[in-house]
Amino acid sequence: MNVADLDSDLLKKAQAALPADTLRAVRESALPEFLQTGLPTTRVEDWRYTNLAGASALSQQWLENLVAGTATAKTRVSALPSIDAHCLLIRNGVVDEDLLHNIDPAVAKVLSITRLRDRAAAVTADGPLDSLNAAMLQDGLHIQVNAGQQLDKPLVIFLDDGGNAASHTRIVIDAEADSRLDLIEYHLGHSADPHFANTVTQLALQQGATANIVRIQDRARTHIQVGKLAASLQSSATLDYASFDLGGQLVRYDVMADIQGAGAMVRMHGLYLASDQQHIDIHTRVDHRVGPAASREEYRGILNGRARCVFNGKAIVHKGADGTDAEQANHNLLLSDKAEIDTKPELEIYADDVKCSHGATVGQLDKSALFYMQSRGLDRDAAAHLLTRAFAGQILNFLPFNTVRDHLEARIDAKLDELLEEHTQ
Amino acid sequence: MLEIKNLKASIGDTEILRDLSLSVKAGEIHAIMGPNGSGKSTLAQVIAGHKDYIVTAGSVQFLGKDLLELEPEERAREGVFLGFQYPVEIPGVNNAYLLKAAVNAKRKHNGEAEIDAFEFMQLAKEKMKLLDMDPGFLKRGVNEGFSGGEKKRNEILQMAMLEPRLAILDETDSGLDIDALKAVAGGVNSLRDPTRAIILVTHYQRLLDYIEPDFVHVLSQGQIVRSGDKSLALKLEEQGYDWVREAANA
Repeated sequence: MNVADLDSDLLKKAQAALPADTLRAVRESALPEFLQTGLPTTRVEDWRYTNLAGASALSQQWLENLVAGTATAKTRVSALPSIDAHCLLIRNGVVDEDLLHNIDPAVAKVLSITRLRDRAAAVTADGPLDSLNAAMLQDGLHIQVNAGQQLDKPLVIFLDDGGNAASHTRIVIDAEADSRLDLIEYHLGHSADPHFANTVTQLALQQGATANIVRIQDRARTHIQVGKLAASLQSSATLDYASFDLGGQLVRYDVMADIQGAGAMVRMHGLYLASDQQHIDIHTRVDHRVGPAASREEYRGILNGRARCVFNGKAIVHKGADGTDAEQANHNLLLSDKAEIDTKPELEIYADDVKCSHGATVGQLDKSALFYMQSRGLDRDAAAHLLTRAFAGQILNFLPFNTVRDHLEARIDAKLDELLEEHTQ
Repeated sequence: MLEIKNLKASIGDTEILRDLSLSVKAGEIHAIMGPNGSGKSTLAQVIAGHKDYIVTAGSVQFLGKDLLELEPEERAREGVFLGFQYPVEIPGVNNAYLLKAAVNAKRKHNGEAEIDAFEFMQLAKEKMKLLDMDPGFLKRGVNEGFSGGEKKRNEILQMAMLEPRLAILDETDSGLDIDALKAVAGGVNSLRDPTRAIILVTHYQRLLDYIEPDFVHVLSQGQIVRSGDKSLALKLEEQGYDWVREAANA
């Protein structure tokens, strides 16, 4: 199935059907950029393993509904997990008023939270999906972390999508100098209807600012998600990012960190657990534009059934970025001979004084360890669970804060049980 | 307790056990000796249920049950314990967690309640003291970064916690210094019991100075070619294995 181009007339009609608010100018200026390329096809190198035909069909349907006035904002609502954090919610790209207004007043001293409709100038888009997101944007959040401030506990933003055929969500975060934000970006959406979610998180870290971000993607198995985190770091800024992909039918996520100041630190860690016919494609990119600065990256995947995953990690050390220290690793466990991983760590180095390493491994469950545990009375499934859990635990060790640890461990255990139910080799 | 009759087992196309028979009764300690490649470890692995070894003939009865019909974990729960020659390192799987899971798997099988956390820690620490093991080993990954001696002690700790009816210790003495050997032997001797049988698989007589066997068997080319009391082990120590081989081939 080829990716059908979205019709430009339909896109324009759909734009016209959206309210004449401050975002209209943003939408209209983003559309030409999207139309230059349209949705990427598998002929584009960066997209060779991930086919957006399903996303295209759902987008088409959603645009037609918008034009016909039948795309409802209200959808079936997912139960939100209980997490000890300040909570915000975006449903199908639209900010939930109640949670926004009921947020703890103490938060206002640390964060300036604005709806994107009131902060349209903050939207910047780069690339076709990002441009499509901007071209169809209805709302979103702008969060400014005030200089030198930090919250008493993390902020969780739930992205609960579904009901409508497609949604476009954008979060823009400006972390001022020496501020700190602990953020959980929690993707869910338990509606069984097929859905295409296109999410973008823009993150600007000023000098000395720290963002600790945990992304949990636990969407329904009918969801297609394309998402992006685009971060820029000024001097001595830190991004500590940990990502967990548990759900979704087809997921493509791009994590991009642009190091623009000396002394910056980027940590990117991720776990993807894919079973059945799940498809998870992760692209990461770290641009070291100045040195000294460091990046540490490790992604791990466990695949069973006919799961298909892609890891493409790119580190680019630009000319003059001396003193760069970059490490990257990707490790995979394949539990079925029908599962497939395409892993490609890439290093491009244009500076002289750098320390870089990268590596990738693909393996199976250690049979001698399985037998050892069975010989102690554990059945094979329990032994396999322990082994996979230990493998996944290496990423849990990198959680930048502990607020969601128990919740996440329970979700990972449940997902591993589901994954191991399928016949393993 | 254990009745092995005319057992033949292969790995790939290679037959390793060739018509082996052995009878072990409760309360007995048997030593199985033999040169490298004689099939000692294969026998231990076959009894524990390793899938790489294919049993082509014969039978193994354990407490009246057909052991060969059971999965490795079922054998363990029935009371068979294999102390590995090379204990496996399992990074990220907590040593105490595995130990507790093993104890509970057996308890569940016996229709008993799970051990509570406090009782488990008390028991584990008590057994570790006996083996001169630091309780810190409970917090580490299973055998992760353990020295050879520490791994063997960990095997004996598992055995002591699981209280098997039949323990097969495969080359438990190999690579141990004299202090570790004494600690391990002490652990084994403390489990000596009229209801329990122990099979020591060993290349050298040295271990038998500390754990006195009731019977010694010599394995050669997949068969038991000599059986006797502990004096047989001494004779092997003095004269090597050549005379056994020659006698077997004669």
